[in-house]
Amino acid sequence: MSAVHRLLTWLVEPGFASSAPVHVALVVGTVAATVSAVVGVFTVLRGQSFAGHALTDVAAAGGSGALLLGAGALSGFVVGGLLGAGAMDLVGVQRARGRDLATGVVLGVATGVTALVLYLDTTTRATAGTVQQVLFGSIFSVDAAVVPVSVALGAVAVAAVGALYRPLLLSSVDPELAAARGVPTRAVGVVFMGALSLAVGLSAVAIGAILSTALLVGPAAAALRATRRLGWAVVTAVVIGTVSTSLGVLFAYDSYYWAPGRRGLPVSFFVVALVVAAYGVSGLPARRRRRVPGTGR
Amino acid sequence: MARSAATKPAGAWRLGRWLGALGAAVPAAALLSACAAGPTATPGVVAAVGAENQYADVLSQVGGRYVEVSSVLDDPNSDPHGFELSTSVAKEVGAAALVVQNGLGYDDFMTKIESATPNPRRRVLVVQHLLGLPDATRNPHLWYAPTTMPAVARAVAGALAALEPDHAAYFRARLERFDASLQPWRSAVAAFEARYRGVAVATTEPVADDLLEAMGADNRTPFAFQAAVMNGVDPSPQDISLVHGLLTGHRVRVLCVDAQVVSSLTASIRRTALRAGVPVVAVYETMPAPGYDFQRWMLAEVRAVERAVAGGVSTERL
Repeated sequence: MSAVHRLLTWLVEPGFASSAPVHVALVVGTVAATVSAVVGVFTVLRGQSFAGHALTDVAAAGGSGALLLGAGALSGFVVGGLLGAGAMDLVGVQRARGRDLATGVVLGVATGVTALVLYLDTTTRATAGTVQQVLFGSIFSVDAAVVPVSVALGAVAVAAVGALYRPLLLSSVDPELAAARGVPTRAVGVVFMGALSLAVGLSAVAIGAILSTALLVGPAAAALRATRRLGWAVVTAVVIGTVSTSLGVLFAYDSYYWAPGRRGLPVSFFVVALVVAAYGVSGLPARRRRRVPGTGR
Repeated sequence: MARSAATKPAGAWRLGRWLGALGAAVPAAALLSACAAGPTATPGVVAAVGAENQYADVLSQVGGRYVEVSSVLDDPNSDPHGFELSTSVAKEVGAAALVVQNGLGYDDFMTKIESATPNPRRRVLVVQHLLGLPDATRNPHLWYAPTTMPAVARAVAGALAALEPDHAAYFRARLERFDASLQPWRSAVAAFEARYRGVAVATTEPVADDLLEAMGADNRTPFAFQAAVMNGVDPSPQDISLVHGLLTGHRVRVLCVDAQVVSSLTASIRRTALRAGVPVVAVYETMPAPGYDFQRWMLAEVRAVERAVAGGVSTERL
């Protein structure tokens, strides 16, 4: 009993459960991780990880633009992501051929626009920490008013993927067969890109636009290595994403007490480190399986 | 294949040469035009630059009709910590005979532009060095300390007298007038201290900390929090909770908000204060012009804090 208590107090520094910024961070982080994991599994299946990454850059341009206009970052991340998704659809991201090229062009333009808007943010407006907030996230500074909005947007994204589950799966695994069976692959793709931009926008608020790729692709990739069954992969990805995010918040909170300077370390770093660790661990069983037959090792 | 191998390096070389020439030509052109447009055209008038408009204000108050002053940072709607240089600034600094800058990393761009526009005649007064402060000084907003500007004005008068010895007496007289004009501010600080010594306050940034200290106020905000907001990084959740708690628990009588360094975090702290009935006072990085000179600005800040503590009145804009 006392050993468990001691372990818990060692793991969880005092005040964690009662801290208001922690509550907001846990909710926003969990929503972002859940949506990213669900959408991420299909993103990996469809081979659109690079498109997902490019969307984060468009979201960054949107988020910094929203701050320039005095609006909330989340609205900018989401609107930017949706516009980016539309642009990528127009330039042909659905086609496997030339897709990387189109994505790369959108990515380059978006990053340039982000550089311009962040410059304008810091030089013409009384804004502080815009670069940090947009690129790397400020989850402990998120306004509590953002919580219901992010929960609602997250629900929309998960519902969209859930409603399209079968046609989405078929068009992701075998687009030609899906088209032959009468699945409107283009429309399914467009709705999916919409869900993808919501996922990117939500995780940009949590761990920053640049790092939201990690939450999108990491847990999904780890889950797809651990299991072949799609339903299990989605569940596993959600667990990996939400546990990484919550532990990241906890470690960032605890890090305040690690050094005498009383400065917390950024949440984003811990989340990404934990996601990478999960990806590494997910490869172990497969490797062991591969070694058993033949060589006798 | 051979052809492309032969032409490629030549093309690269040409581009490199072209870029190199451009790199050399641009600063040279800037320098030439700086010399051509130099305000030294007016004899007997010293071209001077204040890196922040409060230093520019003291330069013109002491220099009077014998200085032509410009300032680099003077936009009350932007954060000086995020400032980036333009060529027009390089022009002004290149032509100036007297420069006043803050130091402590607040206006490092001045040092860069000075080494890019070398001028053996130019005198550079660094306020940090005037006050003998070490580089490790954690709060760079030196002008809020009541002892700072008298020392700056004295150094400015000395430098101007050395540049224009004929007008030394004129500068001395204006220095005395400037010192005397600081009296209402000093009296207000002393009166506040006598009446409210130890009053608890909170801030979002260390901008006015030296003034609050001179007023005898007790700033309960952790410095790590203020420094994080100033440097544009995230404060720890512990400190964020602590600052919100200071306000919701009514453990401070006023919240000083840096009007030039605003983020979603400082906005939510401001809202918490107003909801809890803690008055908010705007403090500024640079002089809120027009309508203020340095003395009136400082006096207005003291009066605003006094109104907040005495009557719970917010001053969200000076």
